[in-house]
Amino acid sequence: MVKRISALVLAGALTLSLAACGGNNDKAAPSNEGGSKSSGEKKVVKILHWKQENINKAMEEINADFEKKYPEYKVEYTTTGPDDEYKQAQRARITANDVDVLADLSGMRLSPQDWTPGAKTPDWQQWIDSGLIADLSGQELVKNWNANDIEKAGTYNGKVYAVPTGKVAMSGLFYNKQIFEDNGLKVPTTWSEFLKLCEDLKAKGITPIGVAGKDVWPLKLPVFALQAKILGGGDQQKWIEGVWKGETAFNDAEAVEVLDKMKTIQDNYMIDGFMGIDYASAPAIFATGKVAMLADGSWDAPTIATANPDLKFGYFPVPATEDAAKNASFVGKYDVTWYVAEKGPNKEGGLKWLEFFSQPENYTKFVKAAGFIPTQDNISTDSEFIDNELTPYLGDFELAYEIMMINRENVGEHLAAEGVHTEYLAPGGQFKTAKELADVQQKEWEAAAPR
Amino acid sequence: MYPFGKGFARYIPFLLLLIPMGLYLVFYFGPSVMTVIYSFTDVKNIPGSSMKFVGLENYYDLFYSGNSGERWRSIINTLIFMFIVTIVQNGVALFIAVLINQRLRGDYFYRAVFFLPVVLGVAVVALIWSMMFDPMSGPVNMLYEWLFGYKDMFFASFTHAFGYIIFVQIWMYMGYSMLIFLAGLQSVPKDLYEAGYIDGTNKWQSFRHITFPLIAPSFTVNMLLSIIGAMSTFDIILATTDGRFNTRTMAYDVYKETFRGSLEMGLPSALSVVQFLIILVFVVVAVRQTRKREVEY
Repeated sequence: MVKRISALVLAGALTLSLAACGGNNDKAAPSNEGGSKSSGEKKVVKILHWKQENINKAMEEINADFEKKYPEYKVEYTTTGPDDEYKQAQRARITANDVDVLADLSGMRLSPQDWTPGAKTPDWQQWIDSGLIADLSGQELVKNWNANDIEKAGTYNGKVYAVPTGKVAMSGLFYNKQIFEDNGLKVPTTWSEFLKLCEDLKAKGITPIGVAGKDVWPLKLPVFALQAKILGGGDQQKWIEGVWKGETAFNDAEAVEVLDKMKTIQDNYMIDGFMGIDYASAPAIFATGKVAMLADGSWDAPTIATANPDLKFGYFPVPATEDAAKNASFVGKYDVTWYVAEKGPNKEGGLKWLEFFSQPENYTKFVKAAGFIPTQDNISTDSEFIDNELTPYLGDFELAYEIMMINRENVGEHLAAEGVHTEYLAPGGQFKTAKELADVQQKEWEAAAPR
Repeated sequence: MYPFGKGFARYIPFLLLLIPMGLYLVFYFGPSVMTVIYSFTDVKNIPGSSMKFVGLENYYDLFYSGNSGERWRSIINTLIFMFIVTIVQNGVALFIAVLINQRLRGDYFYRAVFFLPVVLGVAVVALIWSMMFDPMSGPVNMLYEWLFGYKDMFFASFTHAFGYIIFVQIWMYMGYSMLIFLAGLQSVPKDLYEAGYIDGTNKWQSFRHITFPLIAPSFTVNMLLSIIGAMSTFDIILATTDGRFNTRTMAYDVYKETFRGSLEMGLPSALSVVQFLIILVFVVVAVRQTRKREVEY
């Protein structure tokens, strides 16, 4: 009965969340229609996306414009909770052929290679292999996008299947310009400068860094900088291939250095009890000046600006090594990436919509609201943050470890989800030194080797 | 005499029975059996994808892979969870049920208060306790600091999070067990207590020798419900820690592998089968033990 009650509650929660999605559709739908069925002769385009307020608003505007320009279509824009909840919705809708356009959380990634025997095939690739995704190659709309980005994040087996709508930087720290100025501090360019900066802040009684440890994944962000610049001597790809082939290891000197540097930050310079801060409240902690820096992705800049419109803040890459030139670039990923369903109820409408979305004037609206680094050429975002804080470090934009790393199936929790899980090194975690964690990781990696 | 006539008519009851039987087979028994079959295959959550038998590979992956350490911890966590929840929940519930059964003033009020968390539901309860246990500004931490000069990380603590989840689970379902005990207590004939009183029993003796044996059926029910309930709990874990900080149980792993893992359904099926077997063992043992104690005067 206890079980039955929890099942009931869950069922209730599910219905509620579905109802919430329903509410969203209504908002997106034009209100000049009478009943819901009066659009009988209109062809519905079903778009699936996750909840992210700034982006959802821009999407609703674009959808309304689309309906105005092509009155024969009606857009049904559904949003679910982010991350896992979204992945679940994605799977359900695409396998039921109940969606025309769907977003993925990132560009194409984690596709098995010849050096990754036994690696899991990611969802998007299985969908394409099962013929569920429309081939976009040859479509006019593809030409609007930067060819390099399409190649990197939207091409599979020589065919274009997806459109990545923007890049985000993940490996940086937001910093409070006022606090830096008041204390005569400069943006650090090397690891030792960075440590010095943190010590200076501490000496003045200012907490150096905040991070949302409770959600765990934000801890990965500074680690991405360390991994990209340290592993394989700065060639992450080489290190990742090496770990599959047994040439490098999770407990080799470079990997331990990554863990050790993150441990130094976590033990000394992060706000007390950072493992208890959840992601939603982290921007407020930074925006109210409780910490001088915040480890977060560039996508959160609009949220920080909203939390305190007067705050002057910048963003710099975590300086992972002593080589200032090497440190001076961001690591990141492609964000929202659109796929069109091959077997959806209205493939032709889906393509039409994506073509409309790809028009520079519509895309500009989207990318401005999202705060992404554009993946179309010659787009002006009018964003001081992107122009002044991100652009200087975009020269050698590299993809983050979690995008490049291909995990073995059933790898242990200390390596799961393409991360190295420094939360286990945090005060309160069960590993006292970086080496201990690294050894466990290597053991788990070897135990997960394909038989 | 057979009441349904002769000829074809005598088969009508059986034909009518076929309807619920069919529904049961299709919607309950079928999926259960399919889970067992799937656990030996590499079936994927994609319609039309091919499926082949892989023997015991999924089971092998469960216990001899990079994450087998976690699997064992999930099993141990599940057992810890079950034992503590079953014992404490029923103990506290029995105690409170006996208290409330004494015709107190406002006993309906107390009953409602203790039963309330059951009605609230997991999501609300998780939200309440996440706020109570907020490490930065939660009231419980303020209390801890004031009393012991110590601060806890609660649901973000590798060592304590699981304990707090057990506490919340007991808090949530204690009222349910209490209600079942209360029903049992009220069915104990009053004359037995009078007879005992004449024989000079004290309060403890009358509880030990009259009440306790007579509510044994409620005990059996409560034991079973809490064992099965605790073993298959994943919702409260999902809503509080989401399996982080060493709080995963088998049921949580099944949920996670099924809905958030890869598209492969073989491994989660194997996990469900293992979970089912463990629950089965404990339920059979528990039923045998408690049935032995049931008496009638």
